[in-house]
Amino acid sequence: MGTPEKLVIMVTHGPDDPELATLPFTMAAAALASDVEVVMGFQGEGCLLMKKGVAETVSVPDLAPISDLIGTIAELGGKLLVCWPGLKSRELDQEDLVAGAEIVAAARLVVEVTSATNTLTY
Amino acid sequence: MSTVLTEADVAALSVAKVVDARGTGCPGPLLEAKKAMPGVAVGQVLELWSSDPQTKADVAAWSGKVGHGFLGAVPAQGYDRLLIRRAK
Repeated sequence: MGTPEKLVIMVTHGPDDPELATLPFTMAAAALASDVEVVMGFQGEGCLLMKKGVAETVSVPDLAPISDLIGTIAELGGKLLVCWPGLKSRELDQEDLVAGAEIVAAARLVVEVTSATNTLTY
Repeated sequence: MSTVLTEADVAALSVAKVVDARGTGCPGPLLEAKKAMPGVAVGQVLELWSSDPQTKADVAAWSGKVGHGFLGAVPAQGYDRLLIRRAK
C-alpha cells in the first residue's frame, strides 16, 4: 500500500460563475470514486454554494449538477468545510447550510491544505 | 486509448451486471461504475453504458488508478458499452 492520497479543493466561485462553481464538485466526485480522500474548502462566493437551495440554481451543460454531486460526495466520505468569515459577511449561519457542511476558520483550512498530497483551487 | 470489442467478445466475457448511465453528465458514468462495483464479485465483469464519448478514456484511467481491469468498449446505437473486470 502506498501513502494515502488526499486532495484539498478550494472553491471561491458560486452562482457568479457556474462553470467554476461546478468543476470542483466534478473533480471531488471523481477523486472520491478513485479512492482519494477529498476535502472541499469554500471561501468567498463559494460559500453560497453551501447555502440550502443555492446549488439547485447552478448548472452547466454536460456536467453533473452540483445538487446531485453534493450527496454523492458526502456519501463517499468527502468533507465540506465552509469558511466562517465568508458566511458571516453574507449573514449566513449553520442553520442556513446544507447537511454535512461544517463551519471552520482559516487555521483548520491550513491544517487540511498542509496535510494534503495535492490541492486544486477554483 | 481503449480497445474496441465485438459482440462476440462480450458474450465470451459473461457480464455479471449492467449499469445504464446514459444521459448523465461528467462524472456521472464514473460514479455509477463506482457504486455498482461492490455488486460484482472479484473477477467478474461490469458492463457500463454511457452516451458520453469521453467516458471510455475516463473509465480506462479510473480503472488503472483503482486497480480494476478495463477490457474495452463496444460501440452501440448512440452510446458505448464499457467492460470492466473487478480486480479487488
